[in-house]
Amino acid sequence: MSLTRFLPTPSDRMGILWSLLSIEESVIIEYGPAGTTHFSVSLFGELDIEQKNRLYTTHMSEADVVMGDATRLEKAIKEVDKNNKPKVIFVVASSVAAVIGVDIKGICNYMQSEVNARLVAFDQGGFRGDYSAGVKEAYKMLANELVVDTDKRDENTYNIIGASLWSYRMRSDINEVKRLLFEAFGLKMKACFCSDTSIEELEKAGEATLNIAIQKTAVEASKILETRFNTPYVYGMPYGYEGTLQWLQQISSVIGKEINPKVVGELREKIGMSKQYQMYKRMLRRDIMQATVIGEYDTVVGISDFLQQLGIEINYKICTHSLKGIDADREDVIFLKTEKETIDIVKEAKKEMVLADDTMLSLADDSNTKLRIAPPVIKGMVLARHLPLAGIYGADYVLEYVQQYVQTLK
Amino acid sequence: MNGKELLEKLGKLRQTTCIKDVKPLTDALFPGAHCPLMGSAMAVRGIENSMIVVIGTDECSYYTKHMTLHSEEFGGIFGRCVSVVLDSRDVTFGSKKKIEEAMKELMEEYKPEAVFLTTTCVVEIIGDDMDMIADSLTEKYNVPFLAVHTEHFKCENHMPGLERTITACLSIMEPQEKENTVNVLGQRMGSFRTTELCRILKENNVEIGLQLPSGCSVEDIKTAPKAKLNVVVHPIALPLAKKMKAKFKIPYVFFNKFTRPENIYKAYEELFECLNIPVTEEIKQLYEKAKRISDEAKKQLNGITYIYGNTPFDSMEFNQFMVEEGMKPLVIQLSEYEGERDKNEIAAILEKADPYVAKSANIAPLQYIYDVLKPNLYLGHEFAARLRKKGIEIVHSDKASGLLGFEVTFFITEELLRASKEARELRKAMGEN
Repeated sequence: MSLTRFLPTPSDRMGILWSLLSIEESVIIEYGPAGTTHFSVSLFGELDIEQKNRLYTTHMSEADVVMGDATRLEKAIKEVDKNNKPKVIFVVASSVAAVIGVDIKGICNYMQSEVNARLVAFDQGGFRGDYSAGVKEAYKMLANELVVDTDKRDENTYNIIGASLWSYRMRSDINEVKRLLFEAFGLKMKACFCSDTSIEELEKAGEATLNIAIQKTAVEASKILETRFNTPYVYGMPYGYEGTLQWLQQISSVIGKEINPKVVGELREKIGMSKQYQMYKRMLRRDIMQATVIGEYDTVVGISDFLQQLGIEINYKICTHSLKGIDADREDVIFLKTEKETIDIVKEAKKEMVLADDTMLSLADDSNTKLRIAPPVIKGMVLARHLPLAGIYGADYVLEYVQQYVQTLK
Repeated sequence: MNGKELLEKLGKLRQTTCIKDVKPLTDALFPGAHCPLMGSAMAVRGIENSMIVVIGTDECSYYTKHMTLHSEEFGGIFGRCVSVVLDSRDVTFGSKKKIEEAMKELMEEYKPEAVFLTTTCVVEIIGDDMDMIADSLTEKYNVPFLAVHTEHFKCENHMPGLERTITACLSIMEPQEKENTVNVLGQRMGSFRTTELCRILKENNVEIGLQLPSGCSVEDIKTAPKAKLNVVVHPIALPLAKKMKAKFKIPYVFFNKFTRPENIYKAYEELFECLNIPVTEEIKQLYEKAKRISDEAKKQLNGITYIYGNTPFDSMEFNQFMVEEGMKPLVIQLSEYEGERDKNEIAAILEKADPYVAKSANIAPLQYIYDVLKPNLYLGHEFAARLRKKGIEIVHSDKASGLLGFEVTFFITEELLRASKEARELRKAMGEN
């Protein structure tokens, strides 16, 4: 079970890169062979992440590898500091640098006195787990190192933590979270870790009155900010109508503010309307309403719970990244170590709802009703920023597919 | 960034003796050169019924597979590019066992006729003996497994990946009875079948045999030694041609993607001599036409300045062509420098100009030297709209990937004329002469 047929799960290093690339006023210097950087350009372009003047490579020669000469990196750091004048330079090790044991942190330490930009080292190199570990490290580092000490409070503001642009429809989800929190409480977003943000926004994140960890990978960073600034946090992304209401109630109790009754009314109405699916379930004579859900941890948990509330049995809840290190608390969500195990499960699915990424959806039998909920996107591209999976709009969208699915059953 | 300071760091062509004299514009590069892993994938793409197995990190495997997703030749997501992803344990204890397990699955599911085990930087650093692994897998499955080494820290761009992949094909080739066919080696992009050279060969009853890497099967490679001649259409195929000459006694002719009519005619002459066919009247007429067209273009191209980036042509030969047209190179970007091989071309360029030389694939700092050098044209991949704002027209040459023979001269002369005319109009619109 060692063959990878499709796109492998991105590495920790890749997660770090797409997180940091989303931060204006900073520059990433990759220390490694240039080909990796050039190769990565198309992926980051697909994720709609700006790379111009934000991403550089040093390249690496055989002499650098054999002799451990880091002059190239030193020169590149000085040059970027002088030419680009970024507030922060993130120095990211390549897999080659990691394997030969280049002391990236040490280099950043002794180079710090020679440059104006803040130097921040990432020495993971792609060998400390998959991207879930990488984005988690990035959020932690930003919470620890970049958020500036402050006693100031910017009332009615919050930070979003855990906005990984790899996640399917993340920008739409962020917009839905922003919409809901404004309509429900009049709250405004201050900083977003790490989607379309800037060093300045992140530096001021300590002034927010609430942190929302929208993915499990963001909980540790939220705890860091809680310790540093006494800022409470709420973990969770709102999926489904009941899930969204519970999420708002949770926030309400933390910030001590009532939810706008209009929002509660809308949600209660939708919850009532969606009860009809339980009735469908009882009316079925031949088939049963069932689903297989494959994707990132929080999406799988949230959407599975929503489907179960509608009366759909979930056969498998499969997380596509490692559960190690994110303190996953749901035992019903599994991580399969090999691609083959997931393929076998998907191929078995008949007359189910299959919610997954493009590859797995392609493998699923056409008797299933299929919905893309996870990366990577292979067919077409994501353009919209107003079509979430989360929140009320997201639940409406998922429900449309449930309705399609129900119509295939007897 | 200060464009003048950037230029001060660069050397001139006259002082250049080796690739180390060719400095990058900056130490921090973007996007940097492509890696030989990509080159290897490009080569395997054209070999039907074969598979590429990327042996490396999740990242290298991801990007390579990503590159193949929309490739009809590769077969998309379910296609002929797969990987063995190494983790920290494999890096410590070696990848042999994991590769063997993976190849068992591969052979059961895909049933390939040949498998390219393409290594990446990390595998080469940890020193896994991929040649030995490939040999043992070949023996076990009775299917050729070919190790291709693609560590990027030992080379400058993706070309060695193409070169090593097609050179590895030698081990698939089997002795054959000689036939009246000609192999085409090194056609890395586009189809040889649509080229002028192919048409002329066919019209002279020359049967085309193997076309490696674009458009062949594993069976074609096996039977390639039946050919009486190899036509090498890109330097990436020279090592294979030399090995085939030594092993199977097949001579070769180097018919590169030349732009100068003289070079193209010489290549035709050499080719036809090897085929024992007199050079045809059509070739002579095409030669005269190419000379006439390039001569006529001199009036329009004289004095046009340019920065050379990256084209499908041989860098020095094409620059010689442009210099002979009266154009003035300001910067030539290179990823390799072969002073001895290209001495005539370099001497011809230096007779008229002494441009700066810079490492290629670093477009970010170019913006700053445009303002200093104010070239009329940029040849290579850049953002056309951004260039036009600075009064520079881009020369599109990718289409030439599928051309060979005098059609190359016709195409590029026309494109240079178009771009020069546009560049003049841009300058006029900007109030400059």
